[in-house]
Amino acid sequence: MKTSATTRFALYAYGILALIFLYLPIVAIGFASVSKSRYLTFPINEYATQWYGRALESQTVSDLLVTSLKIAVIVTIVSMVVGFFGALAFARYEWKYRSLFQKIILLPIFFPQAVLGLSLLMWFNAIGVLPSWKTAVVAHLVWIAPICTLIVAIRAYSFDPALEEAARDMGASTFVILKEVTFPLLMPGVVSAGLFAFLLSWGNFPLSLFTTGVDSTLPEWLYAKMVSGYSPLVPTVGIMSVVASFIVLMLALFLPRLLRRGSEAS
Amino acid sequence: MASDTILTLKQITKKFGSFTALHPTDLEIKDGEFFTIVGPSGSGKSTMIRLLVGIDEPTSGQIWLRNQQIEHMPANERPTCMVFQSLALFPHRTVGQNIEFPLKIRGVDPSERKAKALELLELLRLPQGYYSKRVTQCSGGEKQRVALARALAFDPEILFFDEPLSALDYRLRKTLEKELKELHARTGTTFVYITHSLEEAMVMSDRIAIMKAGRFEQIATSDEIYAKPVSRFVAEFMGEVNLFEVEGTSCGSLHGHGVEVHLNGQASELGCALEKGMRGTLMVRPEFVRFLNPGDTCDYVVRGILRAEFALGSRIQYEVETSSGARLTIEKLREDRFMGSVDDEVTLGWDAENSHMIREDLHATA
Repeated sequence: MKTSATTRFALYAYGILALIFLYLPIVAIGFASVSKSRYLTFPINEYATQWYGRALESQTVSDLLVTSLKIAVIVTIVSMVVGFFGALAFARYEWKYRSLFQKIILLPIFFPQAVLGLSLLMWFNAIGVLPSWKTAVVAHLVWIAPICTLIVAIRAYSFDPALEEAARDMGASTFVILKEVTFPLLMPGVVSAGLFAFLLSWGNFPLSLFTTGVDSTLPEWLYAKMVSGYSPLVPTVGIMSVVASFIVLMLALFLPRLLRRGSEAS
Repeated sequence: MASDTILTLKQITKKFGSFTALHPTDLEIKDGEFFTIVGPSGSGKSTMIRLLVGIDEPTSGQIWLRNQQIEHMPANERPTCMVFQSLALFPHRTVGQNIEFPLKIRGVDPSERKAKALELLELLRLPQGYYSKRVTQCSGGEKQRVALARALAFDPEILFFDEPLSALDYRLRKTLEKELKELHARTGTTFVYITHSLEEAMVMSDRIAIMKAGRFEQIATSDEIYAKPVSRFVAEFMGEVNLFEVEGTSCGSLHGHGVEVHLNGQASELGCALEKGMRGTLMVRPEFVRFLNPGDTCDYVVRGILRAEFALGSRIQYEVETSSGARLTIEKLREDRFMGSVDDEVTLGWDAENSHMIREDLHATA
């Protein structure tokens, strides 16, 4: 389609404004994290990386990182497994209450997370489980596993059921079909589900706030520090958290490609 | 070609809830035969092949593969294999890995597998370099050959085909039909093929079964199905055809409904006798109808007006309307084209040996 000069101008203007709106805050935090002063002021008079050094030395920050990472990694692994088998049940097998199951399994995604967190906290109290990072894992899973199921299911819907039938017809047992056909074909879906699981857990605030008990995750700490007792470590830790997400994202994008190249070369 | 029976169906039925997809059906397929089941969608042919392959189980009845009863044997234990409609090639595998799949399942060692795959590539006229090509990079016709190679790698007792050519364009389909027939002759394996295209069936098959509403209407060679269909359905399924409702008269002649048919001779002599009051359907294919010049005689004669002329490539098709409003289709090779023009009055005729009386009500469906 041909666009007029005015349209082109409008498109560029829209694109630039949208990008500024989305990225300006995070860029500002980036600047703040390398400012020497304790508070964010513009223009920044003196740049320094001291806060990064302080953050890396800080026991609090490393505890926060470890807690967030523990939760995110466990949630990722469990969500991938649940998502894979859930999606098979969801998309590939005909059973009586399937359509009902499909609707109910996705419902938690739409619950307000604060309500979900609160109700889980009350439930943990009722059954006498002390809230800690472990209960937060459960809480994250309630919200994230359905999302992963949905992501894998989209992949599962798009593949031809005849592939499994053909494998069976050529003598493959159920286990061999799973290993040779179903799993490799759903793999991209499982990887993206894992990526989502990690990032959603890593950045989650409302569920963690209610369910971590004495433990604390990075987003919780950031919030706490903003509410009471601002520390210049806040922008620094914030940027570190964003960078961590970015690294995971890049790994997820490029690792499968590298692995594939490796397997083709062999 | 051995003439032993390889596959026998005894009173096979399949029901889905209260719907009967397959009425009690018997069938015998001979060893080494190219057998095709043809029917429109919903006729039960897909249901049939799924039972034969072992993806579904019949509601009742028996399936015998030589001396072994197999109707409840799962697909992965049966020594048969199918080329799926979608081909079902594994998109995450190379051409070579696809072809080797059945051998890998059987635990054949890699070097032997590769040798077999390369041999099959050659058999199907694919370059050896395709061994490491991605399946997703192959064209439609190449994928077809890869799917065939994979099925042949399985070395099945019977090779089933579920409309594998339906998604291809006309020219490629025609080429592959001939290749399949040739491949059948070279391998000697029994091929059982299902399709909705009788044209496709006729090119390739030794015998054809026509299916309608969960039953076989007719099982015969393609010549017989073309010339002597047992029902209107079969006659019309096989391309253009002229059908006339006729009734036997007391004088041994035929009375046409909707069309005036003149017989030159006795119906009994022409092999189309109907008892008085008995109805039948007289069939003649468009290419056997002739435009008569004054003085020409034919066993059957019909008069009408030429209404339209269509060019069909190598042939010309004419449409003639009779005084009673019935329409006849005539086809002539381009070199034999009729020199009249539209709205001319014409006399048509054909001989008894080229027509066939369909006695549907007299015929008991086997």
